[in-house]
Amino acid sequence: MAASSSSNVNENIPVFEYKDINTKPFHVGSFRTAWLEKLKPIDYSYEEKYEETEDADFAKEMGIAPETLDELKAICSVDTLRCQAEDESLDTNVVPPDPTLQTLIQRKKKQDYKGTLRIDKISRVDHYQDELESLAVGKRPEDPVDLVPEGEIILSINVLYPAIFERFRYVRPHMTLQMLGSHSLVDLRDAICCISDLQVFGEFSNTPDMAPDFISKDHFKSAFFYFEGVFYNDMRHPECQDMSETTIDWAKTRDFPTFQKAKMEDTRFYDLIVKVGYPYLFCHQGDCEHVVIITDIRLAHKDDCLDRKLYPLLTHKHRVMTRKCAVCHVYIGRWLTTNDPFAPNDPCLFCERCFRMLHYDKKGNKLGQFLAYPYVDPGAFN
Amino acid sequence: MAQADVEYESDGSGSKAKDRFLKPLVADYEELLGRFQQTESVRFEEFTAVWRNMGFSSVFYGSLAGNEMREFCHLTLTMAFNYFLPPYSFQIRVGGLYLLYGLYHTQLASPKEKIRIALKDWEQIQKFYQDSVNSQHYDAVYIIRKLIAENAVLYTAMPQMLTFRVKKKSQHHKVCEEFRDRPERVKDLISTDMLLEVANIQGHYERLKASVLERSSIAVTKQDLLARLHSCVLEFLHWQDRHENRGDADHLVYAEEKAQQVESSNRAQLLASIKTKSYGCLAEASKSRRHRQVQMDTSISGTGYIKEAPKYHKSRAPSLRARTYKKLCGEGQCTSCLMRTQCFVGCNRAAPPVTLQGG
Repeated sequence: MAASSSSNVNENIPVFEYKDINTKPFHVGSFRTAWLEKLKPIDYSYEEKYEETEDADFAKEMGIAPETLDELKAICSVDTLRCQAEDESLDTNVVPPDPTLQTLIQRKKKQDYKGTLRIDKISRVDHYQDELESLAVGKRPEDPVDLVPEGEIILSINVLYPAIFERFRYVRPHMTLQMLGSHSLVDLRDAICCISDLQVFGEFSNTPDMAPDFISKDHFKSAFFYFEGVFYNDMRHPECQDMSETTIDWAKTRDFPTFQKAKMEDTRFYDLIVKVGYPYLFCHQGDCEHVVIITDIRLAHKDDCLDRKLYPLLTHKHRVMTRKCAVCHVYIGRWLTTNDPFAPNDPCLFCERCFRMLHYDKKGNKLGQFLAYPYVDPGAFN
Repeated sequence: MAQADVEYESDGSGSKAKDRFLKPLVADYEELLGRFQQTESVRFEEFTAVWRNMGFSSVFYGSLAGNEMREFCHLTLTMAFNYFLPPYSFQIRVGGLYLLYGLYHTQLASPKEKIRIALKDWEQIQKFYQDSVNSQHYDAVYIIRKLIAENAVLYTAMPQMLTFRVKKKSQHHKVCEEFRDRPERVKDLISTDMLLEVANIQGHYERLKASVLERSSIAVTKQDLLARLHSCVLEFLHWQDRHENRGDADHLVYAEEKAQQVESSNRAQLLASIKTKSYGCLAEASKSRRHRQVQMDTSISGTGYIKEAPKYHKSRAPSLRARTYKKLCGEGQCTSCLMRTQCFVGCNRAAPPVTLQGG
């Protein structure tokens, strides 16, 4: 009776599986229902409660007189927290002299140290990257149909870059996306930009102009997500295969719990059972694997971006340095050549112009024997 | 082939910023809440008096580049929220609430960083709210209502964003022992419901026994189990109250603290003396490098030490060999040791001296 209902409620309340690391699995839709049950609609609405109604409710609940209420409001107002006199102007960019707070002492040391440096090392790109987070804050749509409804769930998802480079294994470059609960997994899939999608396979030294027709994204459309023992396959197009079948069959022969399958396009985030903070998998192009972590699930707030059309929203993206042409060092490399007698090293990167100038004559004939592959730089999405 | 260069990580949770800001921030909070605890009141006026005294609004001052201000504000609210939940005492929890209110309104990030409330903590907060209403703490109730009404709260799954940082030692919030609530373990175990159930079971047992046997000489439990349990619990609670009021526990704790303080100040002095000896004498740079002369750092915080003038040792300390001899052989001469070049074991003078064989 009482025991079973409390355990039912508990299943929908996320708790830590390992403290500060990840939670136990829970159903996202039920989590939302649990919150909406506990709150009054005014609590999570985008409007601020009118002060008069709030005061009236408060006075009624506590049974106090209006004079007491006014006095209370004066005591609890934000002005009481002001630490300096009304007319004193304050420069909040500078640590006040003679700080007593430990935080300020530490900060002052850093500030003094920075003052001794001659160059301030914030690059412009880092500055723009920091701003990316707050770019879409508070945006409202023009068409009210596109407004994110109150009580909608917003998920923050980290998609890590594939760990194919050595360096990528020691830091954790990722992109952070914000999604709505009513989005489906295909929306997430389409929002993930990975350079392996743009890669062109094949050797094109004889036909350099045909390269752009063969993007991998169009060729290999299958992909799957793996969340909590369920493989979600992308079956939108007829050429998509069920990539998870191999894994499921393999698992049956070993001592694994049976995995299930589902369709990516039919699953919304509300239907998922996931752990927050736990790594899952996204696999596309057959072997390009990304780790996916859901870092946060919460109710929408009026300061979020409220335009449905802007979701999935990119809030953070790691910047990767691009590699430039070996000749001009100005443009990003587009061609990779091997066995090339013209190139200083093997393999060698060229930008489009330098590549043509060096390897083809004015009529477009190939000069010399070499192999050329179109190259997509990992920093192409910067 | 050279690998693609990647800038150092800066994940959304700002792990590097967090490590740097964490300790002094927690120290500041505990100072503030400690002073609030000493006022022995839960009134907001008292809190703001302490707040103004410490100039706490200035915790956000100082130019923080880029996203650091936002991350810092997020961190302040997250850390402060810990004091709003059990196991802290009611007064500290009210202090935590006021602290959240103060930090939310004095923060310099725009738009304001919100207070994250996880679903699992909502029950506790509701209980706290109910307690405040029942005890007629108008200011606490008003402030909770105000925070919710002005949309200062984000309703989340978990108190912090989780990015599966397993290798990094997670910064568990260390509960400050001085703020902890008095343990209610006995009261929780022997609650009224439990006593009622015990009474029911006992009654049932007695009835069964009476219906089965005529004589009731055997008994599994004592007849007056319930009364004795109850009196035990009451006695314990009274003892707890008396000790708190009389301050016996306080005296014990105080004595302990004093001893610890003496110990720590001794240690601090030792550390300080070592530091001054090593840093006290600085080589003076040559004339051409005088502009790069290393200055002595006089702003060492945290050890709370008294500066000592470095002592100049006229004589060298006795060597290890000399000290060993002195220790093992004592003041007088020991024949057995004199016969050997090295003394390996502590020679027992009661034992007969061992003569060397073979010259």
